[in-house]
Amino acid sequence: MKMKMEKSQRMRTFKRQLPLHGFVFAGLIFLLLFSLIPMAGVIIAFEDYDIKAGLTGIFTSQFVGLKHFKAFLTDRKFPILMRNTLCISVLKLIFSFPLPIIFAIMISEMGGKVYKRVVQTVSYLPHFFSWIIVSGILFTFFSTNTGVVNEVLLKLGAIDKPIPILMDPKYYYGLAVFSEIWKETGWGAIIYLAAIAGISPTLYESARIDGAGRMQCIRHITLPSIKGTVAILLILAIGGLFGSNFDQAMLLGNTMNLSRSEILEVFIYKIGLGQGRYSFAAAAGLFQSVISFILVLSANAVSKKVSGSSLF
Amino acid sequence: MKHQRRKIRRTAEDKVMDTVIFILMTLILLVTLYPFYYVIIISFNDGVDALNGGIYFWPRKFTLANYQQFLSDAKWLHALLISILKTVAGTTLTILFTCMVGYGLSAPNLMFRKFYNVVLLVCMYFSGGLIPYYLVLNSYGLLNTFWVYVIPTMFSTYYCILAISFFREIPYELYESARLDGAKEIRIYTSIVLPLSKPLIATLGLFAAVGQWNAWSDTAFFAPGKKSLRTLAFLMRDVITKNQVDVTSKAAMMQASRYGQVTTTSVQMAAMIITILPIVLVYPFLQKHFVKGIMLGAVKG
Repeated sequence: MKMKMEKSQRMRTFKRQLPLHGFVFAGLIFLLLFSLIPMAGVIIAFEDYDIKAGLTGIFTSQFVGLKHFKAFLTDRKFPILMRNTLCISVLKLIFSFPLPIIFAIMISEMGGKVYKRVVQTVSYLPHFFSWIIVSGILFTFFSTNTGVVNEVLLKLGAIDKPIPILMDPKYYYGLAVFSEIWKETGWGAIIYLAAIAGISPTLYESARIDGAGRMQCIRHITLPSIKGTVAILLILAIGGLFGSNFDQAMLLGNTMNLSRSEILEVFIYKIGLGQGRYSFAAAAGLFQSVISFILVLSANAVSKKVSGSSLF
Repeated sequence: MKHQRRKIRRTAEDKVMDTVIFILMTLILLVTLYPFYYVIIISFNDGVDALNGGIYFWPRKFTLANYQQFLSDAKWLHALLISILKTVAGTTLTILFTCMVGYGLSAPNLMFRKFYNVVLLVCMYFSGGLIPYYLVLNSYGLLNTFWVYVIPTMFSTYYCILAISFFREIPYELYESARLDGAKEIRIYTSIVLPLSKPLIATLGLFAAVGQWNAWSDTAFFAPGKKSLRTLAFLMRDVITKNQVDVTSKAAMMQASRYGQVTTTSVQMAAMIITILPIVLVYPFLQKHFVKGIMLGAVKG
């Protein structure tokens, strides 16, 4: 159709649409300045960039090949960063990925309309509070000298001395997973609730008439119906395995539990912005992006084969 | 749907499930709400007294001193002001600009749409990472200025995609008739599109405003050198991380308290309540909108 369009007619359409193109163009300029140029800026990972060189320096500094990647891969912190980043993400995937699904199914099985709304409203709320607030709350609950949890446990005689949950590295993974679950489970359920709401009620009715119990309905109607949504969110979660939660790690991490709380993104921030080793930190960042990208692609391919659902 | 289901005889399984779900949900409510309640009561309790513990249900020594301390501290007040300015300016700019671009892109038969979409998707899925971004902002001269809070956040590809799918739902005849009446596109945008898009604006507004209000890393990354640009979130992070390392003993905390009855912790509790208050107040009114908004993104995105 478009190919057949007369040239003059195309010009006319374009002229008529000109103001709209103006709007879009403003967006393109923005993306060029704040998205595309920074993207091209990853090239500094292959250079010895000095901040005094400014914007043009990004593209003209001394090319050094894979020097910074080699330095990063042989850094003595590298194995620790990998272990923390992956362990925390995998633990989150195992423990906090299935919970929103279960929670959404439970909400959809609730009878009372008002109570259902209350539960939903309250469960979304922590998502809107920052990790700063959450870490402040965790501090008031788990600190060794004023924390409520330690205080109550001491009073009950369950422990002899306070447990340093916020300090001792061995508790950090648990703390990270637990706080993530507390903050995001309700919010994560929204998308599954929508998927469940889209299931035709007649399916449930006829199943019930045929004598199916509610658990059977969940197993044979609800779960198969939301399979596609689960698959897509799982792909996204696997793609995110390598990018952990920066805010959480910065706020729950401290000098005492650093051996378990330091993840790749924290390292990049500290080395890059803190110490000014821009090229080295950019190399670490690029390493992370590339692995994440490979993870998404593979998860997508596997999901396409296994369940037929895929992102692209 | 529920009414029809009730006609079917309730079995023992139904009753067990209803009870189990009710109990679990009530537990979840408690676990979610009690921490906030606890912060509230501590914020209204005498700071030094709170160090003795044992406060679980209501303040033991009621006081407003923590809030007074917060409100009389020029440092906290200035941070509050910066947070408000940044949230209002940032959210307004994000909505106006992102929706404008989205409106342009939502037009049917827009030429070069394929190209525009590719650029949008590339920018959504890829980024240069923190370091190149920082260096670029630095070279634009944005670092350590107020602008760094509101300009780089003006446009969001994710919000733009939400906006496009929302605008496509508006009957196109409305635009066409306005055009026939000789209205300019910018006027159609401001007097037809925006007024018809309240649910969209509510959703994006809530997300953008919460994002601005809660962000501490933008200060840490891009404006660390200027004390006058510190936000409430950033300041709070400072206080909390200092408190978190339990090196200060109870006795030291009591001695360190310069004001007699408040401690850094108790003032921090008041600051936390003041920080979450705006969100708690606005959120229930916007809830029904954003649930819809998310769906829009989930289906189309």
